[in-house]
Amino acid sequence: MGPEEDGTNPMDEDGDGDAEEQGRDMEAWEKAYAEDRSWEALTEDASGLLLAVDVTQQQRQHRRRFAASKGPRIQRGIIRYVFVVCDFSRAAAEADFKPSRMGAVANCVEAFVREFFDQNPLSHLGLITIRNGVARRLTDLSGSPEAHIRALRANLECSGDASIQNAIDLARGYLSSIPSYGHREVVILYSALSTCDPGDIMDSIAECKKANIRCSVVGLSAEIYICKTLCDKTGGVYSVAISESHLKELVLEHAPPPPAVAESAVASLVRMGFPQRGAEGTVALCACHREVKLGGGYTCPRCKARVCELPTECHICGLTLVSSPHLARSYHHLFPVPGFEEVSVQLQSMGKFDVLRLCYGCQQELPTAGSKAIAGVRLECPRCKQHFCFDCDVYIHESLHNCPGCESLVK
Amino acid sequence: MKFKIEGLTVYFPYEFIYPEQYQYMVELKRALDAKGHCLLEMPTGTGKTITLLSLITSYQLANPVGKLVYCTRTVHEMEKVLDELRRLHAYQEKEIGKEAAKILALGLSSRKNMCVHPEISGEGSRESVDAGCRKLTASWVRIAAVDNPNIKTCDFFENYEKKGADALLPPGVYTLHDMRSFGREKGWCPYFLARHMIQFANVVVYNYQYLLDPKVSGIISREMEKECIVVFDEAHNIDNVCIEALSVNIRQQTLEGATRNLGKISQVIEKFKATDANRLREEYNRLVEGLAQRGNLPVADNWLANPVLPDDILREAVPGNIRRAEHFVAFLKRLVQYIKGRLLTEVVESEGPLSFLNSLNKECSIDQKALKFCYDRLQSLLTTLEITDTDEFLYIQSICDFATLVGTYQRGFAIIIEPYDDRMPNIPDPVLQLSCLDASLAIRPVFERFQSVVITSGTLSPIDLYPRLLNFNPVIFKSFTMTLTRDCLCPMILTRGSDQLPVSTKFDMRSDPGVVRNYGRLLLEMVAAVPDGVVCFFVSYSYMDGIINSWNEMGILQEVMQHKLVFIETQDVVETTLALDNYRRACDCGRGAVFFSVARGKVAEGIDFDRHYGRLVIMYGIPFQYTLSRILRARLEYLRETFQIKEGDFLTFDAVRQAAQCVGRVIRSKADYGMMIFADKRYNRHDKRSKLPGWIQTHLRDAHLNLSTDMSLHIAREFLRKMAQPYDKKGQGTNATLLSQADLEKMEQMENMQA
Repeated sequence: MGPEEDGTNPMDEDGDGDAEEQGRDMEAWEKAYAEDRSWEALTEDASGLLLAVDVTQQQRQHRRRFAASKGPRIQRGIIRYVFVVCDFSRAAAEADFKPSRMGAVANCVEAFVREFFDQNPLSHLGLITIRNGVARRLTDLSGSPEAHIRALRANLECSGDASIQNAIDLARGYLSSIPSYGHREVVILYSALSTCDPGDIMDSIAECKKANIRCSVVGLSAEIYICKTLCDKTGGVYSVAISESHLKELVLEHAPPPPAVAESAVASLVRMGFPQRGAEGTVALCACHREVKLGGGYTCPRCKARVCELPTECHICGLTLVSSPHLARSYHHLFPVPGFEEVSVQLQSMGKFDVLRLCYGCQQELPTAGSKAIAGVRLECPRCKQHFCFDCDVYIHESLHNCPGCESLVK
Repeated sequence: MKFKIEGLTVYFPYEFIYPEQYQYMVELKRALDAKGHCLLEMPTGTGKTITLLSLITSYQLANPVGKLVYCTRTVHEMEKVLDELRRLHAYQEKEIGKEAAKILALGLSSRKNMCVHPEISGEGSRESVDAGCRKLTASWVRIAAVDNPNIKTCDFFENYEKKGADALLPPGVYTLHDMRSFGREKGWCPYFLARHMIQFANVVVYNYQYLLDPKVSGIISREMEKECIVVFDEAHNIDNVCIEALSVNIRQQTLEGATRNLGKISQVIEKFKATDANRLREEYNRLVEGLAQRGNLPVADNWLANPVLPDDILREAVPGNIRRAEHFVAFLKRLVQYIKGRLLTEVVESEGPLSFLNSLNKECSIDQKALKFCYDRLQSLLTTLEITDTDEFLYIQSICDFATLVGTYQRGFAIIIEPYDDRMPNIPDPVLQLSCLDASLAIRPVFERFQSVVITSGTLSPIDLYPRLLNFNPVIFKSFTMTLTRDCLCPMILTRGSDQLPVSTKFDMRSDPGVVRNYGRLLLEMVAAVPDGVVCFFVSYSYMDGIINSWNEMGILQEVMQHKLVFIETQDVVETTLALDNYRRACDCGRGAVFFSVARGKVAEGIDFDRHYGRLVIMYGIPFQYTLSRILRARLEYLRETFQIKEGDFLTFDAVRQAAQCVGRVIRSKADYGMMIFADKRYNRHDKRSKLPGWIQTHLRDAHLNLSTDMSLHIAREFLRKMAQPYDKKGQGTNATLLSQADLEKMEQMENMQA
């Protein structure tokens, strides 16, 4: 190959260096301000004084977000069997998430496990890690959050390639044996950008689909085609995190139970036992630890074996053991409190609601038309027609899951 | 949807239209109204094809204009155009009824793509299918077959001929596939049917060659009326296509083959003299009357027409010294002998056609006028001698082609004789190149003959250079940008490696180990950060070979392979196809892959790396042409003298359009996203950067110039994360990228109010 023609004026051949500074990227701290533009929300009045931020607008926005995430009332899978797959391959050592991708994943998984059992007390969860191209099961499907977190914390190192196929094959092996009323899910936290598979991953995906396993992926670096395919085919959700906090948000989105898949949504009866807590001081042979334990524990109502914690399956007779608060806590996913409706200002001004001056929840004064003293929205429960303030609305829908107005109706 | 543009009702088969499509239609309509040529640049992925089709067919419905002649580069593109047209037609039928929307649209390609004969269509190459077809359909074969049933003919052609003028296609849109199945069903030859139907069709889709190559256009496109609208799609390389159509290379084996051909022709002449001397005499008489006879021959015998502009010499009589068959053969023998002698030279020779003619005249007393008629004279002779295996006579045909071109054009051509390839000076491989230097020669008849010629592509920048290269005056030339709901393009100019040393493929820098290593580190960092497919373009095969070797020795390649599989384009088409196939599979199954390819290669021109098949393109260096090439030198000189285009300007323009073409492979639609890295410090200079197409330049922010490897890695990571977020496809407010019928009506009202 000969020399190349290089334009006309060789003089400015090495003219780089001067203009480079002006185009530099912003520093990270600058970016947070430049992108948020928080100052734009501030408004000034005629005399140049800052006006208070419009609380009503903010509250409306929050409610809109909440309503969007809620959706219509649908059947949900309450009894879930979930494997969380953590990719601890070479790519997890990258430090673009602090302290490292692996650390960020571990933190998120820890938060997720707690949140998961809080929202789904009847469900089971297991952990799988991928390292050196091999998927390994860290913990079996079980109901105790502490055991999972302990196992994860003890296994924080990363190396080698990642393999999605190995992971979902392993998970499928465990999930395919669970009873049909359980919802099978795999949530993958994926750091790597490629997958080194022993065989055709498309077959594995097809098998997952056949076994009704819903696979979701949370990516840490970029959108990967195969992950998208996996999620699309199995009905899962694919998302990619931008930052540590976004990652946590995305992972926690998997905590509430997903909508039930149509074909597996046939109603079926599940036999459950409600064991009694043993008296302090009794000595019994523990079925889960295979040793003699003193006090505490629960006794299976069918075979009288002792188990340490609930919910679980009896190790002797296989009965599902739960306590009634567990059931109750899962209940709200199925029968959510109806969304409250905002009472429009026009109706207020007609003087119709003078009686309902106070919030039925907290007994604080509610905003009324005309008076500027209290900003915010006024909300009404469609069933009991009581009025609530914004804070109570959030508390009722996000934590309490009961409407005090409806509960105190005389039935 | 249906809307009005300056009074013209346009039928558009989709519910929404991009704003730039609308703008494009407006400009196109103005050009059609002005009955002039136009030059329009619009990025790929914005639906150019449907925009063109939709406006022009609507225009045809409203105004009495001729056919739409749509030229594409490949058969694949042709099928895509016809598919779009079918959708459009279905919509038009729904809107204005079957009768009103009646059109006939068809594609035309070579016999190889259209033949339905069970044996012939299985032949491998285009030439063998052509020859096989002639063996069955030539008029004398068919006459002989009437008496002798053992002689094979083609049933499809016979059936088609029997029907004569009644063999017609019902209106509709026909792809090549549809033509074949229609032919099979009716038992008619689809190739000849298509050629026949062109004169009745409203829309004809075919290859550039059918219009630009005078050899072909003479027969296929002769009967087009002046009011036709001609569209050249993907026309960024149109000057090269024009030049190729008029260039001839003659090598040693061409001459040997030509000598063999001539020997065979002499034998046949002798045989005919003994058996059927009448035929030769008849031919002689015909030649006296002039070549206008060609129109009288049956269609199937028209092989290839005259390479000269048709009107020039058709009416003249063939010069006396080549009228007799044996004289003509002797004439050709002398010519071949002369060229053979010229090829023996030890040094490179370069001259214009005039001096070549002069020495030819002196040494063998061959004059220019006789040369001019060579091509037609040969066709006439081969027809008279009833020679059907034309693929064997390609050698003598290219000699006559050469002779006619030299005889016809005194300007705009160069004859260059090189005794060996520069890259391998020890192996003698003499070649005589007749190189066309002026792209406007081949396209001039098109501009002159047709009322409106539309030249369009995704990359026509700088757009003012094309009118000069092709020597025409467009009434409208315009470049459109793409409206996007999100910044899904991320071009970057990388000038330095992580160690801050500049990188470039300049000749004095390219083999510097520091540059090679920095290029390698760039690839390595990127494959670790970019998912699925990555494509790298190099400036030439030899450079690619060299750098891959060095990377292998440095261990960079092994590290790359930990992240992605590596595939390489070679000069072997089959091997490359296989590599591409496996590359796609690696991208599909999540393993990830890198494809190493060469700018100006097959892959850079025709293969799309859309969606996950190409999330990143790295363009290593600026793909300048090989500037020591004598043909290029001659062309540069010619451009400078004739069109006042500076050498540097042309070289940069050509290199940057190739680079833009390469990186444009990643983005094929608005929903897609991709990054482009121009890895050479020279891209940072304004004269290079400003020649990039507008739709790249608008996304090339200041922050993305003059980057080093680590900075671009940072940008890449953020870009990929941002693109992975869900987004609103429609866009809002000023950002709107989709216009509905209501939006357009509103716009129209606004305009009316202003007017």
